[in-house]
Amino acid sequence: MYDQHHCRKRTFWNRRDFLMQSGGGIAGLALAHMLDQQGLRAAAQSDTCEAPIPDNPFAPKPPHFEPRATAVISLFMSGGVSQVDTFDPKVALTKYAGQPMAESVVVRQGHPGPLMPSPFSFKKYGQSGIEVSEIFPHLAKKVDEMAFIRSLYGRSNDHIQATYEMQSGQIRMGFPSVGSWVTYGLGSESASLPAFIVMNDYRGGPLGGPNDWSAGFMPATYQGTLFRAVGDPIVDLQPPEGMTEAQQRARLDTLAKLNEIDMAKNPGNSELAARISSYELAYRMQGCAPEAVDTSAESDATKKLYGLDNQTTEPFGRQCLMARRLVERGVRFVQLFHGGLGVQNTDTWDAHSDLKENHSQHAMETDLPIAGLLTDLKALGMLDSTLVVWHAEFGRMPISQRGVGRDHNPGVMTGWMAGAKIKGGQVIGASDEFGYKAEEQPVSPHDLHATMLHLLGMDHKKLTYRYNGRDMRLTDVAGTVIPQIVA
Amino acid sequence: MLGTTMPRVPVLAARGLLAALVLSAAAGESVVDAQTAPPVTFTDHIRPIFERSCWNCHGEASQLSDLDLRTRETAIEGGARGPALVPGRADQSRLYRVLAGLDDPPMPMGGDTLSEAEIAAVRTWIDGGAHWDAGGATSAAEALTALENSALPAGARDYWAFTLPVQAPVPVSDEFDHPIDRFLERTRKARGVTAAPRADRLTRLRRASLDLIGLPPTPEQIDEFLADTERGAWERLIDRLLASPHYGERWGRHWMDVARYADSTGFEQDYTRPNAWRYRDYVINAFNQDKPYSQFIREQIAGDELDHTTDETRIATGFLRAGPRVDFREKDNPERRHDYLDDVIGTIGRGVLGLTLQCARCHDHKFDPILQKDYYSMQASIFGYVEIDWPLLDRDEAAAYRARNSEIDRQQQPLKDQIAALEEPHRARLRLELIRERFPENVQRAAEKPEAERTPGEQLLAAQVLSINPPRRRVTEALSAQEAATRTGLVEQVAALEAQRPPEPPMAEIVTDGDYRFAPDGPGDEIIGCPECRIPPDDPGSFLYEGGSDPYRAPPSYFLIRGDPFSPGSETSPGFVAVATYGDPPTVIPREDRRTSGRRLALARWLTSRDNPLTARVMVNRIWHHHFGRGIFRTLDNVGTMGDAPTHPELLDWLAVEFMDRGWSIKEMHRLLMTSEAYQMAAAYGSDANTAEDPDNQLVWRYRLQRLEAEAVRDSIMVVSGGIDLTVGGKPIFPFIPQEILEASQGKGHWDNQPDGPEVWRRSVYVYRRRSLGFPFFDTFDLPDQNQTAAARNVSTVATQALTLMNNEFVLRQAALFAERLERVAPDDLDRQIDLAYRIALTRSPTAEEAELAKALVTEQSLVDLTHVMFNLNEFLYLR
Repeated sequence: MYDQHHCRKRTFWNRRDFLMQSGGGIAGLALAHMLDQQGLRAAAQSDTCEAPIPDNPFAPKPPHFEPRATAVISLFMSGGVSQVDTFDPKVALTKYAGQPMAESVVVRQGHPGPLMPSPFSFKKYGQSGIEVSEIFPHLAKKVDEMAFIRSLYGRSNDHIQATYEMQSGQIRMGFPSVGSWVTYGLGSESASLPAFIVMNDYRGGPLGGPNDWSAGFMPATYQGTLFRAVGDPIVDLQPPEGMTEAQQRARLDTLAKLNEIDMAKNPGNSELAARISSYELAYRMQGCAPEAVDTSAESDATKKLYGLDNQTTEPFGRQCLMARRLVERGVRFVQLFHGGLGVQNTDTWDAHSDLKENHSQHAMETDLPIAGLLTDLKALGMLDSTLVVWHAEFGRMPISQRGVGRDHNPGVMTGWMAGAKIKGGQVIGASDEFGYKAEEQPVSPHDLHATMLHLLGMDHKKLTYRYNGRDMRLTDVAGTVIPQIVA
Repeated sequence: MLGTTMPRVPVLAARGLLAALVLSAAAGESVVDAQTAPPVTFTDHIRPIFERSCWNCHGEASQLSDLDLRTRETAIEGGARGPALVPGRADQSRLYRVLAGLDDPPMPMGGDTLSEAEIAAVRTWIDGGAHWDAGGATSAAEALTALENSALPAGARDYWAFTLPVQAPVPVSDEFDHPIDRFLERTRKARGVTAAPRADRLTRLRRASLDLIGLPPTPEQIDEFLADTERGAWERLIDRLLASPHYGERWGRHWMDVARYADSTGFEQDYTRPNAWRYRDYVINAFNQDKPYSQFIREQIAGDELDHTTDETRIATGFLRAGPRVDFREKDNPERRHDYLDDVIGTIGRGVLGLTLQCARCHDHKFDPILQKDYYSMQASIFGYVEIDWPLLDRDEAAAYRARNSEIDRQQQPLKDQIAALEEPHRARLRLELIRERFPENVQRAAEKPEAERTPGEQLLAAQVLSINPPRRRVTEALSAQEAATRTGLVEQVAALEAQRPPEPPMAEIVTDGDYRFAPDGPGDEIIGCPECRIPPDDPGSFLYEGGSDPYRAPPSYFLIRGDPFSPGSETSPGFVAVATYGDPPTVIPREDRRTSGRRLALARWLTSRDNPLTARVMVNRIWHHHFGRGIFRTLDNVGTMGDAPTHPELLDWLAVEFMDRGWSIKEMHRLLMTSEAYQMAAAYGSDANTAEDPDNQLVWRYRLQRLEAEAVRDSIMVVSGGIDLTVGGKPIFPFIPQEILEASQGKGHWDNQPDGPEVWRRSVYVYRRRSLGFPFFDTFDLPDQNQTAAARNVSTVATQALTLMNNEFVLRQAALFAERLERVAPDDLDRQIDLAYRIALTRSPTAEEAELAKALVTEQSLVDLTHVMFNLNEFLYLR
C-alpha cells in the first residue's frame, strides 16, 4: 500500500523511490508509460504525491492576475446566525424593547413579535475597538485581523434557497457552487487529493444536501468531494476487507497492461489515456487522503489550540484542523459546514425558539476552533495566502419570535473575512437602526463572490463557462468587488 | 390578485424598479432597432461605461452621495452635490466634469480612469441631448408599452433554424447508396478526409445492442447473429433490437433527461412522488410502441385536453410537473408559481424547441430574436395548469369513489365539531399553562392580560403564542370522566366512519387546468403554520372547474416587468414564439367539456405542426447524437446563435423532413441512421491526414468512442455477471446506499434502503431518483443535474470513478458472480473460461497476448481477479 510518509507536501520522495515502493504496480506502470509517452519524465523527477498526472483535469491553471490568496477555507454557519447577537450590536433594540417595529415586517413563520434586545452583552476589542458579543470570547481577540461585512444580504428566507444563493449566487438548484467555480478557474495544487473538499457537521449535512456543493451544469469533475470527519474520508476509498494489497496490485497491473494494448488499437483518443491516469490518481488517493485527514500526528499544543481536548469544541475543532492540513497539502477550496440536520432548532443556528441557549451553544462550539485556526494559519505562515470566509445563509430578525426566538431575515446578516492579506479591524457597510435590513453599502452574494474571486486572482466577469448558449458567470450579470476588502 | 400579496422577500432595490425598467427597455430597443444607431448612443457607448464605472456606487446596489445614475430623470435630479446632468451642456454637467477630471473628486473613484475616447463619447452624448436610449423611452410607462408591443426585428427569420426545413437533392455518389453517406461524403471529400472501413461484425453487434437497448449482447445473441449470414442480417438485427421491450428502457431514459424526471420534489422537504413512476413507464411504453413523436409531445403537454383522453394520455402530463417543486404554499408565494412556470417553459424551450426561452423572462433575448412578449405569451398558454392526483378508475367508479369520500367527510364533520367543542375550554386553559411553562415572563404577561390592556408590543407577543396547540395527550388527560367517555364515543363513531372509506385506488400524478390560488392545503402547508396569515385572492374562485354556465377560465397572467412577479404589466393572452410561428395557428382550441382552456392543446399543436421549423430538427438531432456521440449541431438544446452551428445543415434538414414524412416515427429514424455506412464504420481507425484536418471528427470519418452512461455501466455489469433481473416497469427500486452517505445527505428525502441483492439488481432506469441525493454510482458517472432539462451528458474522467470500480462492494460482488458463472458454464477449463469471459463482457474472443495476461492473473490470483479487471477495462466502458 501507498506509504503515507510520502503524502506530505513537496520535499521528500522522488520518482524512483515511488516506482520502487509502489512495487511497479499501476502507479508505476501507468505513470511510467504516460510519462514516457508525453516526454514528462524529467518533470517528474522531484515529487511523488505531487508528481504531475498527465490529462489531469485539476492541473493548476494560471489566474487572471497576481492573486492575494491561493486557497480558501469557507466556514458556513448553517441555519442562520443572528447579526444583532454576534457582530452587529443595536442599542435601539434595548431602547425600544417590547415595542412593535414601525416598518411592516414579513416573517416566515406565524406572526411578527415586538423588538427584542440581545440577551448578550457586547464589548470593544483590539486596536480597532470593534464590538463583539460575549459568546465569542476567543474570536473577539482576533478582530484586528478580521474584516466584518455588516451589510451582507440575500433574497430568500427559505434555508435551502438562501444556502443555494450563498453557494452559487442563484436561489434555484442546478448552478455550480463557488468552490466549483474556483476549482474550475484555478485547478488544484495537489495531485493526490480532490481540489474542492466539503466537510459536514457531525450531526449531519446542511439543508440542501449535496446540491449545496454541486457543480451544477459544469462537469462533475468540479463538484465538491465530501470528506467524512471520522473513518475513511471517502466512500470506496479502500478495498473491502479480505482483499490483500498484492491482490489489488495484481489486478491493477493486468488492467494497465490490457488497457495499453487497447489504447494502441485506438489511436488519437485522449480519453482512454485520461482514464488510465485516473487510476493513478485513485491509487494515490488511497494512500494520501487518509493521511491528510489524520490529526493524530499533530502536537498536543496544536490539538489544544483547536479545542480537541474539549468535548464541546472537539468536533468543529477537528474539522478546522483538517481544513488546515488539507490546504497545506494543496487543496484549493475547503468548505466546513457547522450545524447539521437533526433537531433543526438545536442542531443548527436556526434559533426560532430560545435564541440565547441556541447561539450560546453554537458559538461555544465554534469560537475557540476558529480562533485556533486563525492563530495556527498565521503561525505557519499560511494566513496571507489563505482566505478564510465566515457567513450563514441569512441573518435573523430584530423582533422576537414567541418572546425568545428570532425568525429568518435575509434582509441583512454579518459575515467576515480574514487572511489573504486583507486589512483587518475594519467594518464594511451597516445595517439599519434595528439590524433589519442592509442600509449602507449593501453587499449581495454576487458581491461577496466577486470579491472572493478577486482575492484569488480572478476577474469575476472573465471567469465564464459556456452553458445554455451563454457564457455563464458565478456572479451572473452582477457583482461588485468590495473595495475595502481588496484595498 | 398578484398585486395584493405582500412580497415575501425584502425588496432592497424597490425604488430601483422603475429605473431598471427604463434601462431594460433601452437594452431591448438595441436588439430591436440596432440598424438606425446614431454615432453615439446610450446603449452602445454610454451604458457600458456606466455599467463598468458608475453603477457600482450610483446604481442598484447603492446610491452613494444620494446620486442614482440609472435613469435620465434621476441623473438630472442629481444627488447631494447637486444636479449631475444638464442635457445639451456637457461643460455644465457635473457627470462629465468629474469623469473628465475637471472637478473634484475625479471619477470613477478607485477605478480606472476613462479613456480619451470614452470621455469624448460622454461629452458628445450629453451635448447631443443625453438621450437615454435609441427609442427615447424616458418614462417607465412608455418603456413598458414599448416592451409589451415590441415586434420582431426585420430579418429575424434569416437564420437556419427559423426557416422551414426543405430537402435539398441528395448528392450524387459512386461510392455510396445511402443518402446519409452521400451527404457526409461530400463534406469529407471537400476537406480531403477519408472514411474508415466498416467495423467487424461483432463490433457492430455490440455497438447496436448497447446503443438500442443499453445492454451488451449475450453469447446466444452473438451466436444467432453470426449464424445469420444471409443478406439483410444487419437490418434483421436492428429490427430484433427495436422489438425488444428493453429498447424503451434505454431510449426512454434519454427522454427522461430532457424531462428532468425525478421521483421526489426537491427543495427542503424533498417529498416523495409516490406515483411519478407511472409517467416513467408511460415514456418507456411510448418508445416501445413507437408512438409518433408528434403525438408523444401532444400527450405530454395536453394529454388532458385531447379529443380522446385516456388515463394514459393524462399520465403523460406528468411531464409538466416533473421538475423541482417546493410543493407547499405555492398559492401564497407567487414567485414560486412563476419559477415553476419558468421550469416548464425552460423544459419545453430547450427540450422540444432548442431555444433558451428562459433568457426572455426579464428582457428581450440578448442574442436570439425571442421577445419578452413571447415568453409571457408562452406563460399564458400554460398558466392555468394545476397539479392533481388522478384516480385510475373508469369515470363512474371515480365519481362513486369521490362521492363516498365526501359523504363520509360530511358525516364526520359534526362529530369532529362536537369533540372540538368539548375540548376547547380545556385547550384554552392548557394553552395558558403551556405558555407559563415555555415562555419568558414578558410573553406570559402579554398572553394573560385582557386583550384591551395589552400594549402594541404585547399584542404581537400574544398573537404569536395564543394559537399554539397543547399536545393531545394533555388535553385528553384533562377531561373529566364523563367528558372522556363522551369523547371516546364520538371518536369511535369517527373511526367507524373512517373504516368505511373505500380503499384508495391506484393514482397518477397529472396536470389539468384550474386555479392554483385556491389549491387545497397540502401536507406541507401545516409545517409552517399561520393559515390565517394568508391573503386570499380578491375574486372568488375554485381550484378546479366546477361547472356552471361559463366555461373554465384561466386565472389572469401578466407581463412581468423584469420578470418580477410583484411588478405586473398588462394582462397577457396565450401565444407562441413569434419567430418560429408561420401562418396564424390558433392559440386556443375550445374544448367541448369546457373543463380546460384549450390553450395547452393549441400550444401542443403548434409545437408539432409541420410549420414549426424547430421541433423535428431538434429531435432528429437528438437521435443522431445518441447514435453517433455528437449531434449534427452539438448543443442539443440550443439552436440559437449562441449554440453550435450544424456541421451538415443540409443533412439535418433532409433528416428533419424525412422524420415528418415518415410519420414522426422514431424507430424509422433508427433504421435510417443505423443502416448508413457512417454508423457501421470502425472506431479503431487512425489516419494522420484525417486527424490533422479534422481532429474532432466533426466530418464523421470514424465511429466516435463514447463512454457508456452511468445507467448502462451498471446494467452492463449485471448482464455480464448474469445477476440482472430484466423485469420491465413498475414501482421504483432502492439499491443499497451506505448509511453514512444517507446520513450525510439532507435527511428528509425518501430512501427505502434495500440490502444489495437480486431484488435490486434491476435495470437502472428503475432506480428511484431522489433530487436531494443522486444515487452515488450514477453520480460518480456523470448523472446529469436532475433539476433542469439536460442536453448531452457530461463525460468526466475522475479518480472517484476508478475508486468505485476498484473498491465498491456491489462491483466486487458482481465480479464474484461473473466468476461463478464462468465456473458453472466451463468447469475446470481455464482457457474456455477466459474465452467466455471475453465473449460475455466484450463480445469477442481474446487475442493470444490478452489470453496470456489473463491466464497469468488467474493462475497467480483467482478467476474473480480477472472478472473484476474486466469491469475496469476501457473497452468495457466505451461504446465503440
